[in-house]
Amino acid sequence: MIVPMSRVRIIGPKDVVDAVLRAVQDLGQLQLAELPDRAGVRPARLGPARERRRRQLTRLLEDARDALHSLRVAPHRVAPATITTADFARWARLARRTRREARTLLDRQAALHDERALIARYREFLLAVLPAIRKVANSKRLTSHAVVVPASARGTVDGLASALREELGAEFTMSIHPLPGGDVAILLILPDEFSNRLEARLAEARVPEVPLPDAYRSLPLAETVPQMLARLMAIPAEVGECERSLTALRKAHGGEMTKAQAVVQDWLAAASARERTAETGHAFTIEGWLPARSVAPLEQRVREAAGPTVIVETIAREDWGAEDAPVVLSNPRLFRPFEKLIALLPLPRYGSIDPTPFVAVFFPLIFGMMLGDVGYGIVLGAIALIVHARAKPGSLARTAAEIAGPCAAFAIVFGVLFGEFFGDIARRTLGVRPLLLDREQAVFATLAAAVGLGVVHVVLGLALGAVAAGRKDARRAVGRGVSAVMVLLVVAALLAAFKVLPARLFTPAVILLLVAFPVLVFAEGVLGMIELMTTLGNVLSYARVMAIGTASVILAVVANQMVGAVGSTVVGLLFALLFHLVNFAIGVFSPAIHALRLHYVEFFGKFYSPGGRPYEPFGHGTAAAVPATQEKPA
Amino acid sequence: MNIMWIAIAAAAAIGLTALATAWAQSKIGSAGAAVLAEKPELAGTVIILVAIPETMVILGFIVALSLILRAGGG
Repeated sequence: MIVPMSRVRIIGPKDVVDAVLRAVQDLGQLQLAELPDRAGVRPARLGPARERRRRQLTRLLEDARDALHSLRVAPHRVAPATITTADFARWARLARRTRREARTLLDRQAALHDERALIARYREFLLAVLPAIRKVANSKRLTSHAVVVPASARGTVDGLASALREELGAEFTMSIHPLPGGDVAILLILPDEFSNRLEARLAEARVPEVPLPDAYRSLPLAETVPQMLARLMAIPAEVGECERSLTALRKAHGGEMTKAQAVVQDWLAAASARERTAETGHAFTIEGWLPARSVAPLEQRVREAAGPTVIVETIAREDWGAEDAPVVLSNPRLFRPFEKLIALLPLPRYGSIDPTPFVAVFFPLIFGMMLGDVGYGIVLGAIALIVHARAKPGSLARTAAEIAGPCAAFAIVFGVLFGEFFGDIARRTLGVRPLLLDREQAVFATLAAAVGLGVVHVVLGLALGAVAAGRKDARRAVGRGVSAVMVLLVVAALLAAFKVLPARLFTPAVILLLVAFPVLVFAEGVLGMIELMTTLGNVLSYARVMAIGTASVILAVVANQMVGAVGSTVVGLLFALLFHLVNFAIGVFSPAIHALRLHYVEFFGKFYSPGGRPYEPFGHGTAAAVPATQEKPA
Repeated sequence: MNIMWIAIAAAAAIGLTALATAWAQSKIGSAGAAVLAEKPELAGTVIILVAIPETMVILGFIVALSLILRAGGG
C-alpha cells in the first residue's frame, strides 16, 4: 500500500531554528518542501562565515570520498562522536593527504600492471630472439631492430620482407613471431650501414618498433631483453608492496575518513535544510512531508529540542495536491521483494493504487503456470535458497532469490497439476497422471486455461481501475466497471456458443452486452469501445502462458528421449542433461520476462497511475548522528 | 491437398507474424538499448516497448494452432 502522508508546517522563534533542524534530522522522517511565497517571509540565507565553511567542507567531502574510493572502503555506519572545529581542520588535512597517497599508490600499481602486461606480451618473442640479439651484439658489422606489425597489416609482412631483402642484400635476415591478438613481432638483422635506410623504410610502411618500457628505451636490445625478463619476475613483489601500503593506509585512516565523510555530509545536508527555511525578523517556518504516523514523534522531538514555543501544525488535506506528496510503499515482509519489480517503472502517484500485493500473487502464479514442472521447480527453489543464504540482506541477489522462491513453489504446484517432473519422466517411469491437464496433449485445454487466467487478471485490473478512478472521476469509474462486466459477458457468450456453458446463456449474455454498449459509450466516449477491443486483445495475449509452457514441456520431453535415441546410454544421458540445463535456463528466463510484460502492459494499463515523487527525507546519511554537543550547523 | 494448404496457412500465420515481431523488436530494441545507456531508470518502460510487438506472434500462434486443431492435427 501507499503510506498515507501528512504535510506539516513548523513555526517557531528564529533563535531555536538550529535545534529544530537538528531534531528533524535526527528523526530522519521529514522531506522538506518548497515554501509557498508569503508576504513578509523571506528565504533564509547562510552567512558569509557559514558559506566559507560550506566551501571548505565540500572540498573535504570530495577528498574523503575519493580517498575512500581509492582505498576500497565499503560504506558502513559509524558510531556518533563529538566533533569540533579542530576536527574539521584535521580531517581536511588528513583527507587531502590520504587522497594524494592513495592516488599515488594506485597510479604506481597501474603502471606496474601495464609494464608487466607489456613485457609478458613480448616475452616469448624476446626469449626466442635473445640468442640472435646476443650474436648481433658481439658483431661489429650487424645491428638488430625489433618491430611489431599490427594484425590489420599482417598481410603486408611478406611483401615488406621481400622488398627489404632485395634492397638490403643477402645479409639481411628476419625472424617472425605471432603475438596474442593477431599482431606479429619481427626481429630484423642487417648490416649497420643499412640501418638508416631500414628505419626510413619502416617509417614509410608505418611499422613501429616493439614498444619498450621507458627505462629501457636508450639501451641496446642485447641489454634490454635480459633486464626486461628479470623485471617480469620482480614486478609481482612491487605490486604486492603497493597493495600492502594501500592496506596499511586503509587501516590507518579508513575509519577516520568514513566518519569524516558521514559527519560532513550531515553538516552539508543541515546547511541545505537551513536554506529551505523561511524567516521573518523574529520567526522561522519550514514545511515538509512525512508519513502520517510520524507526525506525533516529530512533535515530541521538536518539543524536546526547542521547547513549547515551536509549533508543529498539520496542513489540511484540502490545501495540498496529491501530485506534490512523495510516495512511500509499505508492504508485508513477503510482498516487499516484489516492490523491486514495481521500481522498474516510475513510482505510482500518491493516492493511486500500489500494485505490489497483486504482483506478489500473480507474478509467481503466472511464472509457475508457464514453468509448471516439479523437477525444474525444485532446482529453482534450491538455487533460490542457496543464493538467499549467501547474498547480503538488501542486495539485488537476495531480492531475486526472494522472488524466485514463490515462483519455484508455484512451479512445483503447477507441476503436480500437470503431472510433470523434468518433462514426462514421472509419467513414463512411475505412471503418474496429471491432476488437471496434460500440457503435451491437451493443447486446447491449456490455451483455455491460459486465456481464463487472462480474463481473471485483466478483469481484476479493470476493477482496480474503477476503484482508482472512483476517487476522482465517477464517470470514468463507471466506464472501467462496465468494461470489466463486458469482458465477462463476451467470455460467457463465447463459452455458451461453444457449449462449455449452457447454450441458453448465450442470448442473455448478448442482450446484456447490447445494453452495456451505450453505457460504455456514455461513460468513456467512442474511445471506450476501442479500449474494450484492446482489452479483449490483452486477454488473448495471455495465450503466451500456454505457448511458453507447451514449448517448455516439449523440450523437456525431447531431452528425455535423447537417452534412448543416441547409441550409448551415457552419451545420451549427458545430452539429455545438457538439454535439460538449456531448457531450465530458457524456462526460467522466458517466463520471468513474459510474466513481467503481462503485468506491465496488460494488467497495469488498466489502473496504474505513474508519476509519484520519491520520498527523500532529511536525515543522517549512512553514518553517525550529529550529536547536540558538536559544532552547530547553522 | 487440403491438409497441405492448412499446413501452409498455419506456417504463414506463425512465420509472418514472427518476422513482423522480430523486425519491430529489432528496431525498438536497438533504440531501447540506446535509451538505457543514457537513462537506466527507464528500464521498465523499455521492457514494455520491446514486449508490445510480441502480441502479433502470439495471435499468429493462436491462429496457426486453431488451423491445425481444426485439421485434426491436435
